[in-house]
Amino acid sequence: MPEKTDVWQGTLALMVLRTLESMGTMHGYGLARRIEQISGDRLQLNYGTLYPALLKLEQEGFVRSRWGTSENNRKAKFYELTRAGQGRVRKAAAEWEKTTEILARFLSPGEEA
Amino acid sequence: MRTLRAFLLRLVDLLREQRSEDDFAAELESHIEMDVEEGMRAGLSAVEARRQALIRMGSAEQARQLHRERRTLPWLELLARDILYSLRTLARNRSVTAIAVLSIALGIGANATIFSVINRFALRPPPMGDPASLLALHVGHDGGQCCNSFSFPLYSDLHDQAKSFSGVSAFAELVPASIAGGGEPERVFGQAVTSNFFDVAELPMVLGRGFIQGQENAQEVVLGAGLWRRQFSADKNILGRTIKISGHTFTVVGVVTPAFHSADQILYTEFWVPLGNLSQLASSFPPPSSRDTHWLAVIGRLRPGVTRAQAGAELQTLAQRFALNNPKTDQGNSFLFEQAGSVQQGNRRVMTLFLTALSVVVLLVLAIACANVANLLFAQAAGRQRDMAVRLALGATRRRLQGQMLIESALIGFVGGVLGTALSLWFTSVLSGLRLPAPVPIDLSVHVDWRVLVFSFALSIISGILLGVAPAWTASRPRLGNALKGEDTLARPGHRITLRSLLVVAQIAMSVVLLCITGLFLRSLKSAANIDIGFRTNDLLLMSVDPRVHGYSSERTVNFLSVLQQRIGALPGVASAVVTDVAPLSMGNRSDSFSVDGSEKSDRSEAISDLTMTTPGYFETMGIPLVSGRDFGGETATGPKLAIVNRAFVDKVLRGENPIGRHVTGAGVHYEIIGVAGNTKSRTLGEELRPVLYRSLQQSVAQDPSFLGYTLVIRTEGDASGIARAVRNEIHALDPALAIYNSETMAEHVSSAYFLPRLAATLFGTFGCIGLVLASVGLYGVMSYSVSSRRREIGIRMAMGARPGTVERLVLRQGATLTLIAMMLGWPAAWMLSKLAASFLYGIQPHDAFTFTVVPPVLLLIALAACWIPARRAATVDPMQALRTE
Repeated sequence: MPEKTDVWQGTLALMVLRTLESMGTMHGYGLARRIEQISGDRLQLNYGTLYPALLKLEQEGFVRSRWGTSENNRKAKFYELTRAGQGRVRKAAAEWEKTTEILARFLSPGEEA
Repeated sequence: MRTLRAFLLRLVDLLREQRSEDDFAAELESHIEMDVEEGMRAGLSAVEARRQALIRMGSAEQARQLHRERRTLPWLELLARDILYSLRTLARNRSVTAIAVLSIALGIGANATIFSVINRFALRPPPMGDPASLLALHVGHDGGQCCNSFSFPLYSDLHDQAKSFSGVSAFAELVPASIAGGGEPERVFGQAVTSNFFDVAELPMVLGRGFIQGQENAQEVVLGAGLWRRQFSADKNILGRTIKISGHTFTVVGVVTPAFHSADQILYTEFWVPLGNLSQLASSFPPPSSRDTHWLAVIGRLRPGVTRAQAGAELQTLAQRFALNNPKTDQGNSFLFEQAGSVQQGNRRVMTLFLTALSVVVLLVLAIACANVANLLFAQAAGRQRDMAVRLALGATRRRLQGQMLIESALIGFVGGVLGTALSLWFTSVLSGLRLPAPVPIDLSVHVDWRVLVFSFALSIISGILLGVAPAWTASRPRLGNALKGEDTLARPGHRITLRSLLVVAQIAMSVVLLCITGLFLRSLKSAANIDIGFRTNDLLLMSVDPRVHGYSSERTVNFLSVLQQRIGALPGVASAVVTDVAPLSMGNRSDSFSVDGSEKSDRSEAISDLTMTTPGYFETMGIPLVSGRDFGGETATGPKLAIVNRAFVDKVLRGENPIGRHVTGAGVHYEIIGVAGNTKSRTLGEELRPVLYRSLQQSVAQDPSFLGYTLVIRTEGDASGIARAVRNEIHALDPALAIYNSETMAEHVSSAYFLPRLAATLFGTFGCIGLVLASVGLYGVMSYSVSSRRREIGIRMAMGARPGTVERLVLRQGATLTLIAMMLGWPAAWMLSKLAASFLYGIQPHDAFTFTVVPPVLLLIALAACWIPARRAATVDPMQALRTE
């Protein structure tokens, strides 16, 4: 069993946004499962922190929510990306790529010569 | 932007707490259900699936908490809850809260008022362009003696040669005139300015423009906004209209901003004309060609980028150059300047002293109020120690408790501040209503502006926090063990000097200082009331006219006045009517240096003497005794000049020798003395006896016309004010265009001369009483707290055989000790501070023995009275009850 990693500070919001962008409207449980799946079950997601993160994104106007019915006919709250949220994903993704690229340069061995 | 949006949403969510809470609970529930379903689909039993789902979820309560914190603003919620709690506590102790808020309100009101005064005279710049680059210039003589005016040639040299300034403008500060728009003609003062004045001053205009540079003789006028409203009912079409100023025609070209009255912010002038018109409007100004008569005020606008130091250096160079070119007139001259509209250098010392003294006093009042409220809060905190201990035991942090108590005191400070600012609005309107007994219009209005508001707000927050810090700190660390046992938890064994006693000592000490100063001013008012002013105040009516500004020649003026005098004298109810230039106690007069003719220069005594014009019968009408010689009568305008002098003149100029028939000279005019009159107060109540020389009005109008017009003094049979209407009619029967001003009875006139002693006594009396009340309330609070916390000890003493009288004395002794210590601190401080007040006292010394011996025992009595009630309570303690524990 691979070692599970905690979600790094600040990355959860991007994961949520990215997932919503690719999957469209989702409820909280589905979102949590999806994030874990994409990470290849290597991420340990604390569900307790997911909802405050969603709330923050909603307060900032990147996602919106409404109550609906799930595929199993269960009442659930669905989240979807707003227009501002779409812009946000693109910007955050670009920033993140730049950061990792820079970090990668530091971490890859034997290139300083 | 996004953060703001989130903040607002969270703020909104605060209000629908319950709904969001339920909403989230439902969401969590649906999450777990879905997880369970998925587990069951994977083949787990229902129970096992639920167990794993719950494990994955983690603590639901924690999730709810996190969600709640994100949803709303927890700190704001806490703060709101603390404020509500504080409000409830404050409301519960209604009387304590009321006293506290009122104390702070009085303290802050007093401070805001005095700060408005300081703001008015020292901080507020005049509404003229960029205030920092506008300088008021003066001529100093012999090493900086401030502040002479400029002569015209000196101004024009400066104007042409000074490179530091982009513009220099000169003006005659006070030009009397009469202006009538619609109604009765009105006496107003204006200024005659060089044509560049409005460009240099950069004055904002309500309507129109200033003068065109170079047109010094244009018959144009700029009106003050007040005059425009009063006389021309704020007519927007007034530009281009011609109006009459003292009978001369001027075209209105502008109306200046309502905030502007004069560049020095002291004089209240209401119109401006080009300097070239001055000779039409006023004949008493010196000819512009004279270099040694100083009569023009000057302002200069610094060129951009030039510092004041550079300007100062250039002015020094110029002064030296001028002295070389004009050694006779300019030798020893220097230039001085300050920012226009700030306190003039010559007055700065007195002003600073006065304002500092006032500030010290009001800060003392506020300090006493704060100490007092702090004490009340202490006593309150003592009553809440149980509450505190329980909250601490239940897990509240100290910081939380302290914060909550600080919120309480900050609330008191804030509400007190709001109330105090309201009070200061009232105080300043009362102050603005006071009229200085000066014959020229002086602007003393004081208003509350944004600077004052900021000041009071800061002060109320600071005092709110200061007065809460000590009680909050102590009260938040009760001795838990004691509290749970039901004992005093604030008492620290072995601490005999408590913070509370220190506060009360400080408070009483400050009261000693305040009361001593108050005593001084009350004594001063009383002694001012006993000042012998030397003339009668009853049954006299005063009324002034200035025929000269209506173009009357000196001959016509004399004729007019003598006809008027006869007609008024013939009115029923009038005993006699005379004319003078300025009534005594008008704060200012014409004066010259006098010496006796014929004596050797070496043993000649010179003295400055006031000059007063009179007509025959003046002394009898005014009730001034004629000691020897005779009154005027029968002299001619061109004949040898006659004079009557007062006793002080005889003492100072003639060294007590018989003056009748002697000749004296002042300003090049020779007078023969024909009589001696009793002494009177000439300018102000507080002055030392001043020499006064009375001259004949008839002989003086031609060469030395009065700048301030002429005043009728009418002695009436019966009520003086009743005859005013008839006198007005007589004046307007002779000339309907004449403006009548300063119409008042002598009693009113003299009472306004008490302005300064009354102002000082009122101010200090009010503050002193407030301080005293606050201090005794504080002492009472401390003593009753002390008695209630020593109940058990007193019970034991009484059970052991102490009598009520002994217990009473015990408490009184404690109060008296505190009071005596406070006096030993306060008395010397008052002794030293009283010197500050010296220049404002009438007829008593700053170290007035009476005040300094009477105040301490009075204060001690009041202090003992404040201790009396707690002492009585201590004496009636029932030992059985006190010793029984609950």
